Amino acid sequence: MTVKKFVGEDPKSVSIAIEDRFDFSLHQQFRDAYSSSNNSGTRFVLELAKATYMDSSALGMILLLKDHAEKLSGEVVINNPSEAVNKILEIAQFHKLMTINV
Amino acid sequence: MSDLPEKRNAKLALVVDDSAMQCKVLSVLLKEEGYRVFSANDGARGVAMYIKYKPDLVLMDINMPIMNGYEAARKIKSLSTGNSLCPLIFITSMDTDQAFIESIDAGGDGILVRPFSPAVFKAKIKSIQRISDLYQQVKTLQQEQQKDAELAEQLMSEVIESRNYALDKIGIVKKAAELFSGDIQLTALCPNGNVNILLGDFTGHGLRSSIGAIPLAETFRVMTKKGFSLFEIISQVNQQLYDLLPADLFLCATFVTISSHDESAYIFNAGLPDVYVFSEQGEIKNQIASCHPPMGVIPNLLPDTQLTVIPINDKDRVILISDGIVEARNEQGEMYEFARFEQAAKHGVINGSVSETVLTSVNDFCQGMPQEDDISLIDIPCDGWEQTFAVNNAAENIAEVHLNDLYDDSNSAWRWRLALTGARLSSVNPIPMAMNQINEIEGNAEHWQSLYTILTELFVNALDHGVLALNSELKTCHEGFAEYFKEREARLKTLDTGFVEIQLSYHPFSNGGRVKICIQDSGKGFDLKKHYKQRANKINDAPMLSGRGIELVEQLCESLEYKDNGTLVEASYVWTT
Repeated sequence: MTVKKFVGEDPKSVSIAIEDRFDFSLHQQFRDAYSSSNNSGTRFVLELAKATYMDSSALGMILLLKDHAEKLSGEVVINNPSEAVNKILEIAQFHKLMTINV
Repeated sequence: MSDLPEKRNAKLALVVDDSAMQCKVLSVLLKEEGYRVFSANDGARGVAMYIKYKPDLVLMDINMPIMNGYEAARKIKSLSTGNSLCPLIFITSMDTDQAFIESIDAGGDGILVRPFSPAVFKAKIKSIQRISDLYQQVKTLQQEQQKDAELAEQLMSEVIESRNYALDKIGIVKKAAELFSGDIQLTALCPNGNVNILLGDFTGHGLRSSIGAIPLAETFRVMTKKGFSLFEIISQVNQQLYDLLPADLFLCATFVTISSHDESAYIFNAGLPDVYVFSEQGEIKNQIASCHPPMGVIPNLLPDTQLTVIPINDKDRVILISDGIVEARNEQGEMYEFARFEQAAKHGVINGSVSETVLTSVNDFCQGMPQEDDISLIDIPCDGWEQTFAVNNAAENIAEVHLNDLYDDSNSAWRWRLALTGARLSSVNPIPMAMNQINEIEGNAEHWQSLYTILTELFVNALDHGVLALNSELKTCHEGFAEYFKEREARLKTLDTGFVEIQLSYHPFSNGGRVKICIQDSGKGFDLKKHYKQRANKINDAPMLSGRGIELVEQLCESLEYKDNGTLVEASYVWTT
């Protein structure tokens, strides 16, 4: 279980990659990955290609990230969710709340 | 016993050593560290004193008469339950690997080999005390969490779910995970005999997952009882949970209304696995997937939100599940998945025991693996939800002296009037408002249920066939009902003209009363003569799907009359006490 954070040359683009299980145990790590990025208009890209599982508390964590992004007038984009993870995003109808690039 | 305690609140240490000299030396060092000290000279006495004084620390020699240190340690460790670790350190001169290994095996938390300096002894005591304090902290937190989880579970089952409706007909499986995970099941009766069902799954575990449960249950029950539509309830629940819960807490839920009257199920799924409709033969007739983010995520429902309307037969069953079932795991880490659920549910439908069959199948699959999430299933039969009304003969029971009162329209105790126009007709449901007025003025009473049905039927007729000009012929077949519903939604959305006016007047008399209802609409009306003729003929015909509402109203009312080319209906409801 890992959370990796990359800030590109443009500080307004923050990429967060999750590997293995995306669940409550990542709570603190996940929050740490975005809470210090406070530039207005920041785009947070959540890379979920290597996440094999996601539970409902992970959905909650994504909503907290979305709140954070919206306070900065930024946005959250989810990239390449694995099949299992995409199914969970679909049941929760998250594509109606944010951009999901399958 | 020696060295009586000096400080009341100091920690207690027990020194077990057959050498009085050693006891004395260790006691002095321990007292310098602020301990009160007791000592014993053999293992058996050590155990006895442990039981008596429950010390915070035990220092144990290995070679002693009567009972050696290993045996005493095993006894003591088997006795120490509760919150404290009660660290036990062996003090010995045996500097061998064997002594070290056996000490730990016997339950010791450390070993100190002589000779050692006072400073090393004190450092060892400090380190072991630090671990012990941490252990106690963890234990206390764990117990508090356990208490919270129990409270949450008790809240759900005793306070909230015990008030559910029709538990004899609706099958509910509820198997909480070891750490309760926030599943909630609610059922409630609508005033017109329909039944509303909710299966919900709050995010999180324990008490955190149940804080939304009480307001949810309250809203669901009260709004159902007052006659609000399922859509209005969903909209209110979403808004309420959005206001109430933090951003990462929400409710995945399915809402269902079963209406025997409409022969339809109204279904809404926000974040839970598919809802299933099974035929009597165990075939899957419909699967309704999640179509909306969970409740409490966004402030208002998405603009295109709609209920799914499914035509149902008497013997159909609607089955709701939470993800705990399909995600249950076996020892190999495989999940139970939908295919196994569908198979088990099919068998269950055929042999008439959906809950038991599915639960047995899940248990067999999991082979006793600990359950990670709550497991919930609701199995709803589609028959037997019609409201049974006896034909209302109240007017015949009125004493002759009151007959004049009965037909006197002038002396009403109160009158209530509401005219809705244009877009307000699609956003406001006037029936709960009318019922609320009646309840506020006259108090709660059994016979208001019939009045609710009369008002609902007459208002819906005025809106649907008057203002919206919908053709009731559509409702002559099962599939037509869903189409009718869709068309109705579409027309309501763009409605900007027209009106419906409701007037109630209340006429009390000594052993009962009468409510006069007038509902007028802006529609074109219909051919009154043809209408009455058809109704006269229909009495001998087989019951039809459309027009059942009016038949029911006719049975309940003392009089019912269409006027003004069918745009005005006057009904009179009478009851005696």
